[in-house]
Amino acid sequence: MTAPRRLRKELVDLQESSLKSFRDIKADDDNLLRWTGLIVPDNPPYNKGAFRIEINFPAEYPFKPPKISFKTKIYHPNIDEKGQVCLPIISTENWKPATRTDQVVQALIALINDPEPEHPLRAELAEEFLKDKKKFVKNAEDYTRKHSEKRPAD
Amino acid sequence: MDSDIEMELESDNDGEFDDDYDYYNTGEDCDVERLDPKRADPEYFEYDCLTVEDIEKLLNELVEKLNTILQITPSLAKVLLLEHQWNNAAVVEKYRQDANALLVTARIKPPTTAADAASASTSAAAAQLLRMGSTGYRTATTLSTSSSTHTTSQQQRRMCPVCASSQPNDKFYSLACGHSFCKDCWTIYFETQIFQGISIQIGCMAQQCNVRVPEDLVLTLVTRPVMRDKYQQFAFKDYVKSHPELRFCPGPNCQIIVQSSEISAKRAICKVCHTGFCFKCGMDYHAPTDCQIIRKWLTKCADDSETANYISAHTKDCPKCHICIEKNGGCNHMQCFNCKHDFCWMCLGDWKTHGSEYYECSRYKDNPNIANESVHVQAREALKKYLHYYERWENHSKSLKLEQQTIDRLRQRINAKVMNGSGTWIDWQYLFNAAALLAKCRYTLQYTYPYAYYMEAGSRKNLFEYQQAQLEAEIENLSWKIERAETTDRAALENQMDIAEKRRTTLLKDFFPIIGKT
Repeated sequence: MTAPRRLRKELVDLQESSLKSFRDIKADDDNLLRWTGLIVPDNPPYNKGAFRIEINFPAEYPFKPPKISFKTKIYHPNIDEKGQVCLPIISTENWKPATRTDQVVQALIALINDPEPEHPLRAELAEEFLKDKKKFVKNAEDYTRKHSEKRPAD
Repeated sequence: MDSDIEMELESDNDGEFDDDYDYYNTGEDCDVERLDPKRADPEYFEYDCLTVEDIEKLLNELVEKLNTILQITPSLAKVLLLEHQWNNAAVVEKYRQDANALLVTARIKPPTTAADAASASTSAAAAQLLRMGSTGYRTATTLSTSSSTHTTSQQQRRMCPVCASSQPNDKFYSLACGHSFCKDCWTIYFETQIFQGISIQIGCMAQQCNVRVPEDLVLTLVTRPVMRDKYQQFAFKDYVKSHPELRFCPGPNCQIIVQSSEISAKRAICKVCHTGFCFKCGMDYHAPTDCQIIRKWLTKCADDSETANYISAHTKDCPKCHICIEKNGGCNHMQCFNCKHDFCWMCLGDWKTHGSEYYECSRYKDNPNIANESVHVQAREALKKYLHYYERWENHSKSLKLEQQTIDRLRQRINAKVMNGSGTWIDWQYLFNAAALLAKCRYTLQYTYPYAYYMEAGSRKNLFEYQQAQLEAEIENLSWKIERAETTDRAALENQMDIAEKRRTTLLKDFFPIIGKT
């Protein structure tokens, strides 16, 4: 089985690289296939909070892509109420076994910072984003304040 | 003596034939038509039904031809042909123009960087690449692998980025892009992809690298027979689908592949399972409507049919005595079993007015004041227009479905006649021909309704609907005569067959969009 060796290496690499925008990376004690981490976005309206995500790797990893879900509620056109996110780099058609988790996380952070209303998961938010940006930003800020986790001190 | 008479007769006959010949063949127009079936029959279509083996042979011949011209491996030749609709000349032409660009667009080679282009003759490198074959995929040991290599006493080893394990150098394979992975990872990757139905589109494992994995590398590394078979099946499907002159027969479980050099919306009939289909789009044959319009129409019907079904009930009342009638056969000329009133099932009008050019119930009459009416009325008018065409479309479709019953009934009737001593089985065979022709005409007529629905109002539509009405009238006539074969004589019936078929071909000649373009 390829998954454990590769995952252990990726986990160590990610923890050592100490990214500013993705922290607190842990694998479950009894299950290397389930990771959690904290996304810390830079762009408004999400730069007032932090968002907990879960990464689930299939047993066939890296020949099949991981799945990402948000544990923290977020007001974002590309992330739905259940925390599901549509990220092309981990879709079955686009997945490449050599893609590393840090690349996936970078793509996710880019999506959080710059929403893509052209491919929305929540159409009503995408419409608001395009037609009434001010209102969208205000709603998202309120939502972030109310639901998100605290940003790390440094 | 005998022989003399015979000779005399023969010479007489010869003389007569000569006279006939001179007399009847002063004009040549009718001969021209007979000689060229392409012009005489608007549905004439030349095609072959081939087996999987035939097609494999045909494709392999094309591959071999390209091999000998360009001196390349069969596996890359297949990729190049696939990308160019199996047009050998186009591949050779592009190769001569710019071999490098050809390999990049076929995804055999990654896009050239500025540095590459400056450094060396890329075309020479491209030519080199094409000749390598399966031995060429093993990553060269001289390749610089600075960071991940660490030398052991025995052999150079390095890290595979996919499984993150250190392996001897000779276990690594890479494509033209240079992304190198170990044999085991490639193999598992190929099997995962094949399992998902992907074959010739399998790409390199590196992120954002779109270089394609050629057939020979897959078949070198994948050894499980089940997976190899699957790969070859999927690849064959993709090869056939990429060839513009080949179509899989859509019949259930049919292995036949139809080939034709004329790629148009004509009817191909599989010689094995007898499924008929449009060669261009693969759907049911749909002349005179073209492929796009029939798709639009079928989608519309799928959306609206329930409402339409609800509105157009399966039964109608006799317009004279108002008894409830269920239509159980093909003909639109109804005779009420109760009051013997003759009427038309479509418009419920008196059949007497349906004799000749007055047959108008296939024509939809636009309400001329439509522009002045409210939106509500316009919507209702649009629905009415759709229902008009839909009902007629559906009516012919139902009649066709009842065809088997009609033929069974015909067989019973013929049996009864033969038993009664009125003629032999062979004498009545013409009735089956008539039934087959009726089905053919009805089929075309059914497909004239979507055509008319999407036609813009104008003189051409008037002409179309006139011809449609004529065809409708002749078909009903034929249907009526077949159902009453006892009282109709054979000559009249065969004459009617001829008229109906002429009407059908005339309509197709004038309106079937692909005629005249070939």
